[in-house]
Amino acid sequence: MTLLAGFDWAIVRDNLPALWHGLLRTLEVWVIGVAGSSAIGLSLGAARAHRIPLVSQLAAAYVEVMRNTPILVQIFLLFYGLPSLGVRLSPFTTAWVAVTLWGGAFNTENFRAGFEAVPRRYREAGLALGFSSVGTFVQVTLPIGGRIALPSSINTYISVLKNTALMTAIGFPELTNVARSIAAVTFRDFEMLVLLAAVYLSLIWTFSVLVRALEHRLALPGEAR
Amino acid sequence: MTLPDWVQPVAQYMLETGLRETAKLAVVSVLGSAIVGVLLGTLLTVRWLPLRAVIRLYIEVWRGLPLIVTIFVIFFALPSVGVRFSPFAAATIGLALWGSAQIAEATRGAVQSIPREQHEAASALGFGWIGRHRFVVLPQALRRLLPPLVSLLVNVVQNTTLAAVIGVAEVLETGNRSVERLTLATGDPHAFEIFGGVMVLFFVISFPLTRLSAYLERRLV
Repeated sequence: MTLLAGFDWAIVRDNLPALWHGLLRTLEVWVIGVAGSSAIGLSLGAARAHRIPLVSQLAAAYVEVMRNTPILVQIFLLFYGLPSLGVRLSPFTTAWVAVTLWGGAFNTENFRAGFEAVPRRYREAGLALGFSSVGTFVQVTLPIGGRIALPSSINTYISVLKNTALMTAIGFPELTNVARSIAAVTFRDFEMLVLLAAVYLSLIWTFSVLVRALEHRLALPGEAR
Repeated sequence: MTLPDWVQPVAQYMLETGLRETAKLAVVSVLGSAIVGVLLGTLLTVRWLPLRAVIRLYIEVWRGLPLIVTIFVIFFALPSVGVRFSPFAAATIGLALWGSAQIAEATRGAVQSIPREQHEAASALGFGWIGRHRFVVLPQALRRLLPPLVSLLVNVVQNTTLAAVIGVAEVLETGNRSVERLTLATGDPHAFEIFGGVMVLFFVISFPLTRLSAYLERRLV
């Protein structure tokens, strides 16, 4: 209780605009990351599931590299390493590129598994009905496999949100970075970090509850889940 | 082919100091995660609701928070209330809190997959709750726990890099310091080669373990 009694709310109140701005930047990177990683995951996942030559192998290599190396190292390689090759990325560009590439690799696996879980005979039925192979994918494999992949891709999106916090290491002013900067000036580390943790937990818990509800509505008929 | 002059001292520093620190972080965190996680996961199967609720909260908090924020809270916020940790300790505690939450969830599933009859038979033989779990249920649940434990090891090894942010001289941080030193000494940071090397190093460690985890998953479950 003494902890809470000593909690300096004025610090929080005075810095609310800056923190709000940081939160918006976090959400900005997250939204780009979710959209980008979905696009990568859907296309490469489809290429993997349909064993499209060359693309499939390259996608597999990309997935293995991203999954078996720490994302913080990937961020450092993009931000500090690429300038050696003459490519200079801003912290913002690094942030969204890093989470998109990272999430894209995990989503490729999620969607590959989802598409492969669609029974073969559905695809054959689609082709027999005269749908083109692209049409069969869009009309049959995607709606069914996409929903099978939904729970695991949601976990990836939650991880993408959490990974945006790592951008503080390259000085991108997202929520964590803003909170740390305020703490560095005001010496109120306790207030700032407790607040930071509370914001992340409410964001992530709210998102989880919302998407679980959505997932329930989108669940394939006949599945007892 | 001979390597440029800068490579040898940098590689030696990163492997002898950095990799050793990474290994220490990983081993301590994985052991801590496994012990706390198995204990909490087993307790999560008891009937007493308040205990389950507390453990559930522990899991949701440490799984929900970005690991870097957990590490920041331990390292920067706790000193304000009189608890001070070294960077190494703060990183290890953060990793273990996060890892134990993962393992607790996996253990709950594994323990619940053991048929009721095993519990009943153990009770009939006179085992109490502790003996029943220690000698009958957990040894069987361990089979199912092996794949998640190996993937935890992979994830912990990768996440040890976050310790660099609070200044632990693990592989990534030794790479950082080498880049800074080379920039000052020669003007050329060689950042691409160094961070690329760090990436290759982690890949070489993680890839076989990921494969092992997938293999165990197929074999044991």
